[in-house]
Parts: sequence; structure tokens; C-alpha cells
Amino acid sequence: MNQFLGPLDAAGRVPPQQQARVASFLISAHGALARQLAVALPGQLKAGWQTELNAQLHREAEIVSLLMRSTAWVPDFTLPYHALTLEAAWLPKPVAGVADQKLATTIDIAALGHAVHGAIRPAALLPVEASAEDPFVLALRRIEFESSRLIQAQIHFLKSDELKPVRDAVSAAVESRHRQVRKLWADLLEGIGIRRDAENE
Amino acid sequence: MPFLAHGSHRIRYELDGPQGAPAYVLVNGLTQYSELWAAYRDALTARGFRVATFDLLGQGASDKPELFISQGDQVEALRLLIGELGDGPIFLGGISFGGVIALRYAIEHRDRLSGLVPMSAFAELSPQLLLLGNALRTGLVLGGTGYLQDLLLPMNLSDSWLKPLLGNLDAVKRQGWLINDVYALQNLMESFLDFQPLTPLLPSIRTPTMILNGEFDFLTPRCLHETLRTGIPDSSLVIIPNAYHAFTLEKAALTADLLARFAEDVLAKRWQGNKSVWIAPEEAGGAMIPFPAGYDHLRAMPVQKAAP
Repeated sequence: MNQFLGPLDAAGRVPPQQQARVASFLISAHGALARQLAVALPGQLKAGWQTELNAQLHREAEIVSLLMRSTAWVPDFTLPYHALTLEAAWLPKPVAGVADQKLATTIDIAALGHAVHGAIRPAALLPVEASAEDPFVLALRRIEFESSRLIQAQIHFLKSDELKPVRDAVSAAVESRHRQVRKLWADLLEGIGIRRDAENE
Repeated sequence: MPFLAHGSHRIRYELDGPQGAPAYVLVNGLTQYSELWAAYRDALTARGFRVATFDLLGQGASDKPELFISQGDQVEALRLLIGELGDGPIFLGGISFGGVIALRYAIEHRDRLSGLVPMSAFAELSPQLLLLGNALRTGLVLGGTGYLQDLLLPMNLSDSWLKPLLGNLDAVKRQGWLINDVYALQNLMESFLDFQPLTPLLPSIRTPTMILNGEFDFLTPRCLHETLRTGIPDSSLVIIPNAYHAFTLEKAALTADLLARFAEDVLAKRWQGNKSVWIAPEEAGGAMIPFPAGYDHLRAMPVQKAAP
């Protein structure tokens, strides 16, 4: 098992099979967030922080578009199975312990967003030799960079005073989504010969 | 790699040196990880100490709570670690954020420590520190861990340390960037949102205390260490010459020597704090110099003290 993507080719590019697997995971996760945001976002914004969600919807779509165009796609017969597993995992699950079902679902969507933006660090998979000119390498760096900004909307909502009365339920939901996302990500990486140290320990 | 359990969270720690020996427990700064104390492990175990290091909750290989990390949780993690060390003498040192956690531990568990060493630490948020902290948090949010590192490196380290590394700074930053997550660092920073000054509680620290402050520390300047010196009864302030906020990284041999000498003095009952002010030597093993009488150690110029 390696800690990073590779071995890179002479031009510093990630092997196409690894690119396709990593990109399919990220497209599935960020695509799900984009769809959920599109449904959750009201036609008329009611609170200031919802402006951030509008931006987030378009950035998630941008990430999907970027990966579609920057990945060196190769046939992979496991992709349909992985895609189904992932899509099922992203389905909203109203958070237990919150009576208002709409709020319970919104918390879960935010918890998933926190996990995808916080726990998935695709740029940390790149070895130092990765080419700074390769579109896939740049895409991974851009996604990780954007994720640290995108997560701010989830942090703002999940830590808000509005959710103070249900803080334990919120914390449990976020922890659960992090655990789920980390496991799916670790499984995917293990399938392409990668195991991160921190996940090992 | 051993872990402690705090509720559902795991805290990664390491113990080195002989069991039963007086122990040094070292607490990381905000963007650090325990491996950065490697030189201290070597130096202090060679002087006969046991050394305990760990990653704070939210750092390195310890768990990273997703939404909230309180400083109380960090103190509890520290209590669990010190509990692993038996009943012998314990010396506790912490740098910056870790210095605050060490102060909190000393206030809450005043009888357990034989000695305390706050380094580049503070008991209250001055307006400058508050605004700098806010700006650093914004830098983290907008630019990620790499940008926070870009801000901290020139602020906290000297030209002589940085110059030979200028062409290779990405390599210097890489391990800290790999091992720390933005949301977790943000949680650590936001544990100061409800920070209450420790200043009124400092007199309750009866432990011998050596306060270390870099001569050119810009982030936590002398006045913040002066609060510690005047508040902690058995303390002395030691100014590290030509040093900045992160002198534990830059001057590891000197700092480890100062830590060892402090503990040896306390154990031999030679230590006298007296709220005195000293200038550390430039190199490990050199003589400590009393700050010149009659001059104001809070000034950067040789200004004579006003008559009381």
C-alpha cells in the first residue's frame, strides 16, 4: 500500500485508472451535494447565509464539470457498482432527535456537506513530484482549496445558535456522516493501492 | 502507536525515556504535531528525563472532533496523559496555544506539577492578539492551511532560519499541511471565541514557573508574558535572545537545555523564582544573565525604569 497516488508517469501524471476512480467518487459526492442544494435552496432567499448556499450550488456543479473534463477516463467495469453504492450513501436521512422533519433533513444535508468538504482531501493524495501543469493534478488541488471555503456555509449553519437546542443531535449527525464518508473514501483508495497513515493508525 | 480515550475521541501520545524518572510533558502549538518535539525527546531523555508528547484533539493523528473542541477537552486530554506517568515529579511545558492549555492545567491541577514552563504564552487576549487571531482565522478560511502557514512562518521565525529554506519552503510546510485539516484547525482557533482571561487565576499557580519569551516575539510580545510573571508568585521570566514566537522550533538545543536546567534546579531545591527577569544564553550551556538592574525589560530600547 502506498500513501500517495502513483507511480506517476514520466510527465508527472497520475495513472488513468486511479484518476477515473478518484474522479468518479468526487463527481458522485459533489454532484449529490449540488442536487441537494438545488432542491433545498428556496426560490427567494430568506437569510443572508443562504447567499452562500447559492454560490455553493454553482461551485459544486463547477467541480463536477472540472473533473469531467480534466480526468483521463479509462474503462472500469467496477464503476457502475461503486456509483450505485455511493449514490445510495448520499441519500438524505433525516437526523434522529429533531422533531421538525424539514430541519432534520437540512441538518443531514449540511452534515454530508461538512464531511465531503472536510474529510476528503484529494490534493493530499498527490506526491510532491506530481506535475503542476497536469489538469487532473490541478483539479484535485482546486477542489481541496475550494472545499475549505465551501465548508464555511455548513460550519455557519451547524454551529448556529438556531441549532443550539439540538446540538447533541447535530454533533452525532455530523460525526456519523464523517465516519461514513471517511470509510467510503478509504475503501475507494484501498482499491487503488493507497492507504493514508492517519487512517491506518 | 498508543492512544488515550477521551469519550469517543482518541488522543495519540508517545512516551520516551526511563520509567519512574521525572517527566517532562510538552504541549504543541496550534499548527504543530508531536513529532516537532523530537529534538527535545533526545535531549531530555539524555539528561535522565521521561518525555511525554501528544497531538491535541483536532491535531495530527489524534481525533479531529467535527464541530466543537473546547479548551476544557484539551486540559482533560492532558490530565489523562499525566495520569499515565505515575506519581513522580511532572514538569509541564507548552508553546503558544499549548502554553495556554498548560496554564489552564496548572490552575486546575495545581498540586500535580513540580514545574511549569509556559513558552510564547498568554493569559489574556490583548486587542492586538485578538485582532491578529481573527485575521489568522480569516486567512485559514479563505486560503487554507497553506496560507495560514505562509502567514505564520515569517511572523514567527527569524531571517537566519528562513533564509536557507527560502527555495524549499513547500517542503517545510508539507508535513504540517498534510497532517492538519482546515476545519479542525478552525475549531481549535474558535475555542478562543468564549475565552475568559486567566489573569485573575494566575496567583493560584504555586508551582515553580519559568516563563520563556522570544526577544522579538511579535505575536505574543513581552507585555503578555509580563502578565504571567507578575501574576504567578514563584515565577521568573527568561528572555530568549534573537528569538521569535516559534523559538522551540528554531532554538531546540538551547530551549531543551533551559528546560532541563529548570527541572534540575527545582528538584535540587535550588530554584528561586522571585518574579525575576533573566536573559538566556545564545547557546545551550551558556550562563543566564540577570536583566540589567534599573532598566525596563518591557521596552525594546534601554530605557531606565521609572521610579516606583
